[in-house]
Amino acid sequence: MALDALRRIEPQAVELPGDAAPADAEAAIKGADRVVIRFPTFKDGRGFSLAALLRRSGYEGELRAAGPLLPDQVDDLLRMGFDAVDIERPDGPARNRNTGGAPYIYQPDPGAVTARPTALQIRALAARKATAEALAKELDGATPEAILCRAAQVYGGRMAMLSSFGAEAALGLALVAEIASDTPILFLDTGMHFPQTLSYRDRLVKHLGLTNLHILKPDEAELRNEDPDNRLYDRDGVACCDLRKVRPLGRALDPFDALITGRKRYHGGQRGDIAAVEFDGERVKINPFAFLSPQDVADRYKALDLPRHPLAEDGYASIGCWPCTAPADEPGSRDGRWAGQDRDECGIFDPARAERAKRAGAIRLI
Amino acid sequence: MYKYDEIDRAVLDARTAEFREQVQARLSGALSEDEFKPLRLMNGVYLQLHAYMLRVAIPYGVLSSEQLRSLAYVARTYDRGYGHFTTRQNIQYNWPALVDIPDALDHLAGVQMHAIQTSGNTIRNTTTDPFAGAAADEIADPRPWCELIRQWSTTHPEFTWLPRKFKIAVTGSPADRAAIGVHDIGLRLVKNDAGETGFEVHVGGGQGRTPIVAKIIRDFLPQRELLAYLTSILRVYNLAGRRDNLYKARIKILVDAMAPDEFRDAVEAEYDASRGRALTLPVEEIERVSSHFAPPAEGEPLTDIPTGTAFARWRAVNVKPHKVKNRAVVVIPLKAPGATPGDASAEQMDLIADLADRYALSEIRVSKEQNLVLPHADKAALGDLFRALDGAGLATPNHGRASDIVACPGLDYCNLANARSIPIAQAISTGLHEAGLDDATGDLTIKISGCINACGHHHVANIGLLGVDKAGEEVYQLTLGGVGDGQAAIGKILGPGLSADDAVTAVIACVRVYAEQAQPQESFTQTLNRLGTDPFKEAVYGA
Repeated sequence: MALDALRRIEPQAVELPGDAAPADAEAAIKGADRVVIRFPTFKDGRGFSLAALLRRSGYEGELRAAGPLLPDQVDDLLRMGFDAVDIERPDGPARNRNTGGAPYIYQPDPGAVTARPTALQIRALAARKATAEALAKELDGATPEAILCRAAQVYGGRMAMLSSFGAEAALGLALVAEIASDTPILFLDTGMHFPQTLSYRDRLVKHLGLTNLHILKPDEAELRNEDPDNRLYDRDGVACCDLRKVRPLGRALDPFDALITGRKRYHGGQRGDIAAVEFDGERVKINPFAFLSPQDVADRYKALDLPRHPLAEDGYASIGCWPCTAPADEPGSRDGRWAGQDRDECGIFDPARAERAKRAGAIRLI
Repeated sequence: MYKYDEIDRAVLDARTAEFREQVQARLSGALSEDEFKPLRLMNGVYLQLHAYMLRVAIPYGVLSSEQLRSLAYVARTYDRGYGHFTTRQNIQYNWPALVDIPDALDHLAGVQMHAIQTSGNTIRNTTTDPFAGAAADEIADPRPWCELIRQWSTTHPEFTWLPRKFKIAVTGSPADRAAIGVHDIGLRLVKNDAGETGFEVHVGGGQGRTPIVAKIIRDFLPQRELLAYLTSILRVYNLAGRRDNLYKARIKILVDAMAPDEFRDAVEAEYDASRGRALTLPVEEIERVSSHFAPPAEGEPLTDIPTGTAFARWRAVNVKPHKVKNRAVVVIPLKAPGATPGDASAEQMDLIADLADRYALSEIRVSKEQNLVLPHADKAALGDLFRALDGAGLATPNHGRASDIVACPGLDYCNLANARSIPIAQAISTGLHEAGLDDATGDLTIKISGCINACGHHHVANIGLLGVDKAGEEVYQLTLGGVGDGQAAIGKILGPGLSADDAVTAVIACVRVYAEQAQPQESFTQTLNRLGTDPFKEAVYGA
């Protein structure tokens, strides 16, 4: 084997002094896959912050702490993003030999790769779940107006609406415009919408006087890497939804604890038994239209004299991206979505995901 | 007040068990004193002149009657029957044996108390207005935010090995009462134009060797962003604060060296990079913590009014208005003539706990002026309270008056001190009493520190004394014009240093100038600004 090939597979190790300036440290570890931070004394806490900053800058290789550290510092060092700690006196007194360490954390792990939930989050999510369950009971079978009014009382200021500007979107948008008009409206611009959807969106925004539209686009770098020819939908529909919908939405959801959806029980599939308010493991979903029938929806459109999506008149009952949308026989049905595939959701409302995340105690899900 | 849930209990139990192991390791010799020192310090154990000293945290100065009884128990069982309440709203025991400390801490853990981070280069106990949640002039209650800061700062993995100690104060009142201008971080609760509550953020204040008033680096921080912003300030400090010189390691020196604008830019840049859902306070958690601090129910009107001037004087001086009808704030000065400021015996603590149970919703506060406070006294019980306190020597009517003197432990206890402060405080208070000046003056602060570390807060005293060592002699520098609460100001040295006896006479002389020359309703600082320093110089040093 040639010598240069051997070099390439050897780890690139860099040692940094514990007092290195963050900018210098980031420059010095470019291309490295093994970094050692050497602490001058166990009392010098700079290396703790430095580790967190290196992790935040995207460094994913091994990070090792070295120097005259105390065994009692190991837990905290691991929380800061170190993978390993070289203790000069391994026979010294070890922290929590008998107690097993702190059972809960008050702060998010500043540099750790997988975030454990903090005490604050554990309590907040338990409270959020309890509130959502109580609201679901209180609002069972309630009208869209009653559901949204109550939700605005509880979640005002941290509530957004997700809209596809599809066949049934106008109803939800009109309700929001009437009851909580300052609510942010999130629209996933996948780059794959029918042109009719975009023109309908602009028309509807104007018609209803909506002022807080957030247009969410896929990350450009991710698009270049994962779908350079814009044909990912052909190769892997789930990956395409993940790239163009799930991840952009995940990034935009940060400030919100509650989402208003347009979902209805008559959509069928996994939506057949949705409640007015649901907890998904992190956030709350508010479904003002959960209990309406297709006839209710038609009546409301008529009463409000709402403009219809141009494609709805061509037999499209549910409208998403053009590659994965076909006309359906039933009005209000989602049968035309991912026709011929074994799916009926794009992933942003996947109860199975929510269930998994809940069990895992994970925090970031949608 | 806040009650621990199972999470808080589990965290405290783990820490208490951990420290017990560390003490055992030290006693067995497995840990050297050098290695043990930072561990014991961050658990509140100092090595003082004569013995170990244990400093127990009283989070933002709030105590239940049960907790106060436990502090009395520790004083009786593991110490010499008394404790010393500090200018940072904590309590210190001066004579515990190291071997007993884990047991004392176990006992305190049983009532949700601890000594974590009462020392060491860590984030210390957050302090606030002793009248929080009761004061009639409050914009918002600071206690929920103090509790959220308490949890965030407790055993923080990143900020346990800071360049130097770090102190945060929060106030919800325009009158301050928490001296936010002389803290590493001072937070003032404010409302913005939209009526939302947030924080005005002050950074880089402090006393000690280099007294500096903090700079405002943010006019309005949304309340849910509190922890994200504090994290950013601490991270900038942890990375850039000086570690080569103990005396230049506090954040005030860094803010000054970087210039406040650049320091703020660095904090804002870090905040932009690190803020996000994980550090944003969940609304539900703010609501949960706030629910522990609901305002008290209304009391009953006062009908039993004791006759005589003693009650009237006590009420006028030691009783403050409450925001709830028929409730009152009662200050219990630990400042009887000749007393050691801040000291309370186990019997006094037990008595005050009983009175709190009977007349004041079982709650007690510790003030940075080293007094105790019943924040929610029933107005109907003021007569009974007065009689009971008076009988125990706890009704000296001098809250905020000249003889309400603040003093650090000084050379009598502290191994950092250059000079005594407690005997000076005792002599001044006795002298003022004899001269009839303790009652004749309006609001006035006298504070004494036994060394440049300024635990006695002399820099922000209207009349301050700093004890220094000059060739083996205790010499005192007299400063005038300092202010701690509200618009903080650092006092200015009046003239040459004074002997202990002369310092006592000088302070009394300054009080006399104020008492004789103040116009009605004029504070000491106003009088000083109007007259200048000449009359005071003349009174102290002669013409």
